[in-house]
Amino acid sequence: MSAAPRSIDCREAVERLYEYLDQELTPEVRAEVEHHLRSCAGCFRHFDFERAFLRFLEARARGRGAGPEVKQRILRELFGPEEA
Amino acid sequence: MTPTTEERRRQFEAEALPHLDAVYRYAHTLAGDPTQAEDLTQETMLKALRAWHQFERGSNARAWLLTILRNTFINEYRRRQHQGETVDLAGLEPYHVFREVQEVDPEGRFFANIVDDEVLRAIGALPEEFREVVWLSDVEGFPYAEVARLLEVPIGTVKSRLFRARHALQQRLYDYAVEMGYVKRRAS
Repeated sequence: MSAAPRSIDCREAVERLYEYLDQELTPEVRAEVEHHLRSCAGCFRHFDFERAFLRFLEARARGRGAGPEVKQRILRELFGPEEA
Repeated sequence: MTPTTEERRRQFEAEALPHLDAVYRYAHTLAGDPTQAEDLTQETMLKALRAWHQFERGSNARAWLLTILRNTFINEYRRRQHQGETVDLAGLEPYHVFREVQEVDPEGRFFANIVDDEVLRAIGALPEEFREVVWLSDVEGFPYAEVARLLEVPIGTVKSRLFRARHALQQRLYDYAVEMGYVKRRAS
């Protein structure tokens, strides 16, 4: 068993906000942030809001792919006309 | 043993082609318009096919393709690029939007009303170095270290650009949502 996570305040938690959401923290620091979030409703809501924003951003921006004609043209260019 | 042309083609189709959309999306983000995005995508895929023997099997093919794309863009396209509007990222107050909405819409439901085009416009209006970081991280989902490698900058730079780019996007999309009536501006 590891020791209980170190106690951090709101300022420290928010400093780690994006690294936490991006899953870039070490397990120890992650545990510190989670420990804080369990006891702080304000930070919990803030983290939730930022997470919602990042999900929204990804969902909206990924919609733009190459259309079928563009793909056909590129495949023709890559492998010759028999692909079309 | 070198693989036959047929084998190389099969490998390329299986490992590189599934990322065509990702290449196109990033090309569009860099170049800013669909015609150039198509040219750039085509050129990238052609270069990748020719250089396929250099691809380290089992490594990240998407990152490899986006690196080729980015180098092509920098060397051959950037000088032709039309410079559109860009936002000023100075003076952004961290987490301002959350503070504005925490009483009325703390879950950020208003975001759901914002259409794709508005989001893409907002990303397109970021200065290039911020646009790239936000794209690779938030849209393509690469970890910081991979973004840093792709852009050839330190991880700290990735973090700080990401921080500012996200705030700038949030602020712009919030202002848009207020203007459209999706969320009420906090009474000051």
